[in-house]
This record gives sequence, C-alpha cells and structure tokens, in this order.
Amino acid sequence: MEITFENRETGTLVLVTGRMDAVTAPQFEKDCVAVIEAGAKLMVVDLSQLDYISSAGLRSILASAKKIKSTGGTMKFCGLSGMVEEVFQVSGLGTMFATTATADEAFGA
Amino acid sequence: MKLNGIAFRLASLTLLISTLILAAIVGYNYTVSRDIIVELAEDKGTLLAGSTSERISGVLNSVQKVADSISFSLEDGSLSEKRLNELGKRVLSENPEIFGTAIAFEPYGFKYDSEYYAPYHYRSQNRISFTHLGGPDYQYFFMDWYQLPRELERAIWTEPYFDEGGGHELMATYSVPFYRTKNGLKVVAGVITADISLTWMQKLLAEISNQESGYVFMLSRYGTYIAHPDSSLIMNETIFTSAKTMNQPRLREIGRRMVTGQSDVEEVENLPLTGDSFLYFTSLPKQQWSIGVVFPKADMLADVARLNREVATLGAVGFVALALLVIYLANKITHPLRNLTASANEMASGNLDTELPEVRSNDEVGELATSFQTMKESLKSYISNLTETTAAKERIESELRIAHDIQMSILPKLFPAFPERNEFDIHASIEPAKEVGGDLYDFFFLDDEHFCFLVGDVSGKGVPAAFFMAVTKTLLKVVAERGLDPGEVMAKVNNDLAEDNDACMFVTLFLAVIHIETGEVKYANAGHNPPLLLPKNKDSEWIPPLNELVAGIMEDTEYTTKSMTMEPGDTLFIYTDGVTEAMDNDKNLYSEERLLEVMNECSGLSAKSIVRTIDKSIKTFTGGAEQSDDITMLAMQFLGKSNEK
Repeated sequence: MEITFENRETGTLVLVTGRMDAVTAPQFEKDCVAVIEAGAKLMVVDLSQLDYISSAGLRSILASAKKIKSTGGTMKFCGLSGMVEEVFQVSGLGTMFATTATADEAFGA
Repeated sequence: MKLNGIAFRLASLTLLISTLILAAIVGYNYTVSRDIIVELAEDKGTLLAGSTSERISGVLNSVQKVADSISFSLEDGSLSEKRLNELGKRVLSENPEIFGTAIAFEPYGFKYDSEYYAPYHYRSQNRISFTHLGGPDYQYFFMDWYQLPRELERAIWTEPYFDEGGGHELMATYSVPFYRTKNGLKVVAGVITADISLTWMQKLLAEISNQESGYVFMLSRYGTYIAHPDSSLIMNETIFTSAKTMNQPRLREIGRRMVTGQSDVEEVENLPLTGDSFLYFTSLPKQQWSIGVVFPKADMLADVARLNREVATLGAVGFVALALLVIYLANKITHPLRNLTASANEMASGNLDTELPEVRSNDEVGELATSFQTMKESLKSYISNLTETTAAKERIESELRIAHDIQMSILPKLFPAFPERNEFDIHASIEPAKEVGGDLYDFFFLDDEHFCFLVGDVSGKGVPAAFFMAVTKTLLKVVAERGLDPGEVMAKVNNDLAEDNDACMFVTLFLAVIHIETGEVKYANAGHNPPLLLPKNKDSEWIPPLNELVAGIMEDTEYTTKSMTMEPGDTLFIYTDGVTEAMDNDKNLYSEERLLEVMNECSGLSAKSIVRTIDKSIKTFTGGAEQSDDITMLAMQFLGKSNEK
C-alpha cells in the first residue's frame, strides 16, 4: 500500500494505492492522524487506486474519521469502485460518509 | 600429516614445482652443455680429420717427390746397371715411408737382349732386399702400376693391390713415367714406382689416433677400405658392402659422399666398436682417397653426463633439504590451526565454555584465533538472549493457546447441537487465522418456538479482536434473550459497544430468529456480507444486503428487522468474509461466484455436509497458502414440523 498526500486550497487529498489490510492499515491511520494533527480540516480520501480493503482497513478509516471529527473537520471519500465500493455499501459506511465520484466534486461541495 | 591437509598440500605442491624447476634446469643444462661439447667435439674431430689428412698427404707427397725427382734423373740414358741399383737402395734407406721402389723399362728398353728389365728394391724383415721383376708369369707391362702411367703419360696412384711380383705385400703404388730422347723424339722409356705398404699406413693411422677412443679409416676412390683397425676389412670390403652388412643405409650415403671427395661431420648410430658415433670425413684429393675419423658419442658426451650426474645429485640433496624445510614450516604454520580446529569442533558440539588455544602470532592464524574468540563470546551472549526470548515467546504462546481454548469454549461446539429437535438441523465451524480470532457465531433457543442464530466478524484479528468478540458474544446473548426483534437487539448491542470505543473497533453481524414451526425468519444485518439461501431443489440466492452500518461505531444507529419464510428443506448459509476472501498462493480470492457455484452443488445435503463441502473446497483452492483471515460458516437447515423422525 502507498499513501500520498496532496495539499489543495480547501483541504488535503489522500491517495491510497494497493491493498489496505491488517498489515498496512495502521500506516494509513498513523499518516492521517499526523496530517489531522497538523491542522487539516477537510480530508478527501481517493480510493480509486485501492484494490482491496479488509475490516482492519475499515477500522483505520473509521478511527481517522473519528479523529478529524473530534477536531471539527470532515472526511470525504471519492472514486469508490468494485470491491471497495461493495464493502462500503455492505458495511453501511457509504451512508455514514459523504462519497463522490471525483476528488474535485468533493472539494467543490 | 593429513593427506588433504594444508601442510601436505603446501609441501607436495612446493616440492612438485621445485622438482619441475630442477628438472627444467637439468634439462636445459644438459642441452646447452651437450651442444657446447658436441660443437667442441666437432671442431676437434674436424681438426683431427684435417690433421690426419695433412699428415698422410705429407707422407704421400714426400713419396711422390722422391719418385718425381728420380724420374728426371732417369732421363740420362748413360746410367749403368750398378748406378740404378744404388739409386733404388738409396731411395729406400733415405725414405722409411717407401716400402719398395722399382725402375721398370720398356721391353728391350735397357738391354737389347732382355725383354724385361725392372730392378726392384723392397723391405723384407727389416732389411732391404732386391729382385728383378718380370718374366713370362709376371708381365709387368700389363700391370696397372706400369700400364696406366705409360698410357696416360702422367704420374698416377694405383688402387691398392696385393703385389705378387716382388714385395708380397698389400700396397698402393705411385708410378711416374720417365722419358728418353730417341731419334730426336722424347719417348717413354719406362716407369719409376714408389710403393706404400698398407700395413705401414695402418700403423701410421693407429699412431695418430692412439690417444683417442675412436679410430681412423681410409677408403680408396671406389670405397674399398685401405686402412681400418679391423684388418679383415682391408681390401676385402668396401664401405658400401659393410653398410649393407650392418644394415646402415646412412653409412652408404656417407660412403657416397666420401668417394666424391666431400668433407663433413655426421652422426651414425650403432657402429661396430664404437656404438653411436660421430664420423668426420675428408678427402685426399691427389690420391682420390678419403679419410674417416670415428668417435664414440658416449665418450664425447661423457663429460655432459658427468656434469648432469653432479647437477642431479646436488638437486636431489637440495630437494631433500627443501622437503624437510617445507614440511617443518608447513607443520609449524598448521599446528595452531589444528589446535583451533579441535577447539572449534568442541564448540560446534555445543561446549561454548571450551578454552581456545592461545595463538601469539600476529599473522592470519592469530587473527583467526581472535575471530574465534569473538565468535565464541557472541554466540554465548546470543544463546543466552535467545534462551530468554524463547522463554518469553513460549510464555506468550502458552497464554495464547489457553486464550484460544477459552475462546473456542464459549462457542457452541457440540454437534448435533439439538439431537432431540427434528424441526431443523444446524452446523457451524470456525477456524481462526491466528491462535485467537475476531469471528463469532452462536445459536440458542429464546423460547420453545423461537431459535436465534447469528454470525459476526470483528474488525482486525488477534488478541484485540478476540476481546471485542467475547464482549459482543456475551452482549448479544443477554440482549437477545429479552425477546426483542433482531433489529432492536442489534441497536441495543450497538449502543453498548459504541460507548467509549476509542479504538474504533467494530463488528459486522447477521442475526436471525426462526419460528421453528412455521419457518418464519426475522433477521437484521449490521454491515455483514449477505448470507446465501439454498432453497430445496433450486439454485441458491443471496439474501439482499440492507447496507446498514457495522455495529460499534455510532451510537443510536437504527437497524431494520426484515422477515422471510423458509420452506422445509431450505438452508440458510451465513459466513464471514474469510470464506470469500480466502487467497491462494497467487493472491487470488476464493470469491462469491465460486461460493455460489459450490453451494449449488450442495443441494440435498445436510447442514454438516454443506459446511464440510465448502470447507474442503476452500482448502483445495488455497492449496496450503497461509490463512489470512478467520473463516466462519454456519448452515441452518429448516426441516419443518411435518418432518417427524
């Protein structure tokens, strides 16, 4: 799994590539928390390059979302497709978070 | 010394190479010294052949001069018989090299009444004897020594012959015609001869070569032996016949060159008397004779052989000295290594307290000993660390094993679970990826008619998931037994779990309650992957997902209660994503499609068989790849009220 952060005008774009499983998920949480603590208020997580997400991955996302919520920020998701989209739907996370097709839409809204 | 040891190899290699070097030196020495000596010998032989030829020529020339000068004095026609005799006698007494001399006149040339007139002086038993040549049985006019010079009108050397006229000796004769004036014309009046005894010649040659190991021989113009140490050859054999007898074609070639007057040196193998030899030959042009000097090769190379023997002896002594030195040094170098090896073997067998031999030298062996010392210390500390770590690990593992047993014991494991009930058949299996896992299942009666069964999957794996699973399982049972709808049970449990859940752990749940008489099923789904319904004699189908949030995340989440009716023979198969996401060695997923396919083949099987079949299919698919997630399956088969046993 690879994570890249890109600072935009209104927030931070997080691009996640590869597999987010029990081994790699803690890295995602650690990196996100670091960005949140640095003051990010809007985080858009681009999952279009994510091939696989396990329940440990979902937990990392939920923990990061909880963290940004506690600082008054928002976490949005974009580019969901395939297996990841299915997991988001089945687990109900799709209804809990704002999801858009593209990152621009998420920042524009 | 071990055969494959360093000492042996070092010694043998050094000695082998020095032997080769020594052999090369001896070989080179032999070749060079042989060449030098052979060259010297050639010079010497050539010189000897030359000097012999000069001496012989000298003798023969003096013989010629004597005969030539007499031939002039004989032109005086007034010489008396007495004077002629004196002349002959004086020639012999003054010239020891001349065997005999004859003054032979033309028929009736000296006396009108005597056809033959040829006074002949010759040596016999150390005296000078005298005879008259000629007679009916010795018509000297037709002998070579007379006829050839007379006809050719010049001095000649005859071929060697055995004289039967007077001397009775093997000889060669120099004959000179002499002239007298008759009627104003100069005509041949006779022939003056000087004989050389071949026996005397042989003695002369023997004198020349007597200090050498070789010999000298002489050939006539046709290759006949004139002189040779083997007197039986003289006049009897030619060099060509003896070449044939000895089967020496080379000698024949040399003979051919000799009679054509060439000078050279040749090597000839296996000659009688001298063995392998050098043959120097040159010619006596006036006589058209040739001289050969033979030297045995062995004698000439004796010095080379002696030199080589001495060098080889010195080499052998040096070799032994070198061998002793090398063996001593090699042993001295490898001795500490052998000690070190013994200690290392001791260490290898586990005794790390063994004392390493003290190596004082500062060389590589010393460094090796120091390295061994360091390795010993490192090994000791490593092993002591390892022992501690292993003990700690074993403690944790043992605790985890106990935790595993506890976790398994809180799940219903006895099947068939309700042998007295024939309205339904239930079977479940769980296989954690680690010692403890986050999957759970449970089933229990709420009352006589309502039977609750559920499957859940806690996020993550291992000890944290196991704790969360235990809490969830306990809560579910307590709450479900209050007789609430599945949705209400889910909401209540979610609230309890979400409270103070800082780690954001969550659990997906599928919980169903069946009325075992009617087959009516009420169920709720908190983010769990959709179960499969395998209706009797029909293809299986997914229970549509409700897309409701996983439990434990957000308080006050509402959960829907859905209902459906199972017909007798229908089976509800609930599982965790460990089934569909089981991976083979190439990270391919088992997938929902495959599950559906296998499930369709399970039509008519019991709950236990369905679970077993799916499990077997998963095992076959993963092919021994490491299990990445907990795998849990629960099959609930409704048999109906009518199905009395």
